[in-house]
Amino acid sequence: MTQVTFPLPDVIPLIPEMFVAVMAMAILLWDLFLPKERKQWSAYAAMATCAVAAALTLKLASPDSVNAFYGFFILDPFASYAKLLIYAGTFFGIVLSLDYMKDEPNTGEYYSLMLFGTLGMMLMTSAPNFVTLYLGLELMALCTYVLVGYQRDVLRSSEAALKYFILGSLASGFLLYGISFIYGVTGTFDFAKAGIGIAHAGADAHMALMLGMVFLLAGMCFKVSIAPFHMWTPDAYEGAPTPITAFMSIGPKVAGLVIFIRVLADVLPALQVDYTTILTWLAVLTMAVGNLAAIAQRNIKRMLAYSTIGHIGFAMLGLIAANADGYAGVLVYLTVYLFMNMGAFAIIILMRREGIQGELLDDFAGLSRVRPGYALAMGLFLFSLAGIPFLGGFWAKYVVFIAVVEAGHLYLALTALLFSAVGAFYYLRVIKYIYFDEERVAFDFAESRLMQATVAVTAIAVVALGLFPGPMIDICKAAISNII
Amino acid sequence: MVPLSSYLAVAACLFSIGVVGLFLNRKNVIVILMCIELILLAVNINFAAFSHFLQDIGGQVFIFFVLTVAASEVAVGLAILVAFYRNRRSINVEDINTLQG
Repeated sequence: MTQVTFPLPDVIPLIPEMFVAVMAMAILLWDLFLPKERKQWSAYAAMATCAVAAALTLKLASPDSVNAFYGFFILDPFASYAKLLIYAGTFFGIVLSLDYMKDEPNTGEYYSLMLFGTLGMMLMTSAPNFVTLYLGLELMALCTYVLVGYQRDVLRSSEAALKYFILGSLASGFLLYGISFIYGVTGTFDFAKAGIGIAHAGADAHMALMLGMVFLLAGMCFKVSIAPFHMWTPDAYEGAPTPITAFMSIGPKVAGLVIFIRVLADVLPALQVDYTTILTWLAVLTMAVGNLAAIAQRNIKRMLAYSTIGHIGFAMLGLIAANADGYAGVLVYLTVYLFMNMGAFAIIILMRREGIQGELLDDFAGLSRVRPGYALAMGLFLFSLAGIPFLGGFWAKYVVFIAVVEAGHLYLALTALLFSAVGAFYYLRVIKYIYFDEERVAFDFAESRLMQATVAVTAIAVVALGLFPGPMIDICKAAISNII
Repeated sequence: MVPLSSYLAVAACLFSIGVVGLFLNRKNVIVILMCIELILLAVNINFAAFSHFLQDIGGQVFIFFVLTVAASEVAVGLAILVAFYRNRRSINVEDINTLQG
């Protein structure tokens, strides 16, 4: 009789994930016992969770790739770095929520949903396998659907959630349909094995592979809002509570682009010629839609939604370059984007007029006279988003542009440069409102020390990354070393 | 024996019906939820067929994950729909029109 053994899976690499999962459940329960006036403690607990998880991830980070759970989980520098960005996104998201959600009942679910969403993103960054990818993606998506519709008495919030849900589910269906064909050709869900299987597939499998690749790419494009699959983004961004908009604009994008890189580098290298053609056209379309449609927006959340689409289009240049510099460029882009975008959203949350959230461009009129500090910070974030030299955003664009030129796509870099100039217009228009227009309605700031600290930290980070980009670029290049 | 291509054709038909239904449907959000379910079930047929013809159990295991996630997805979707109905007093697709631009 053969001895049947059940070796315990190696759980050490998953400690940050398990910690976040346990804390999310604990906060959900703990909130029930908190008296009404101490509800913000669950937010503090969630912030502490992010900080501790970041410490655990740093402690576990090693230059090698570690496989765990029989090839369903991978821990490499790439995943560790992406997780740090995700923690930062969630942390800032919670900080921005503190004042915004003060009047909402049942905040415990809110913070634990953010942590569960974070868990989903963490699993996505560590996925070496379509099963982990799908489960992480759905965990993240289901949490963000609910968070977008969290203000359930507000029509636009529930409408945004409904639209996001419908298009997100469709995207999951596309993704799964693509996965099913890749599985059908290669007989495996593992990224690396599927990549080998695709490289050795016969000519009769070509049609199935093309179908699989197109649907897989379409599904992933939905998740990171690449045009023409971006339709949900402006609505979801506008309708969601502003801190959730900020949260959604970082973590899910990081996780989505990490998965994009893993799939392109591990599963589809044999189809590089085909996917480069597709992604090139999509990148041009994404940059065009993002930067041109943003000009017509009067609502700043909607404008920043199109700005996100535009920035994803620029980050896609790194994917198209498909070399180490390009992938590292995507990470650089996400790092800088984290700070400049979070800072801009922090200012938007601070802008309150007569109790109404200041979301229209007109609401920014005359800010420089009342609060020169905030005006300066917002100016920095917008200049950085526009890619003005010697702020963080410039280097983000610079790195991916250089990478895509090195890969031989000069025309694409020139197109991106053109759209970058178009994009600068609508960022600078906000600065015109802030510095050169008269104040119309009295400001009514919702200030707290924590919010001011957030604005200060993000502004300093944007300037520091602009003046000393070297260390960040080196770290990103080191993080990518196991991928390519 | 039924060849693999027949299974794939059925799945492709179901998938297309789901996608087309999702975009052409102008009446009711519940129908959209049904279309999404149809898409996911089409994917499951694909997985089951491939799993059988490849003699690999992985595809069938994946189906269970897809079914589980589909169930929770519909639960979340219906909850969002109820929240929307309370605010709008309608679940017509044409009434989902506050956010535009």
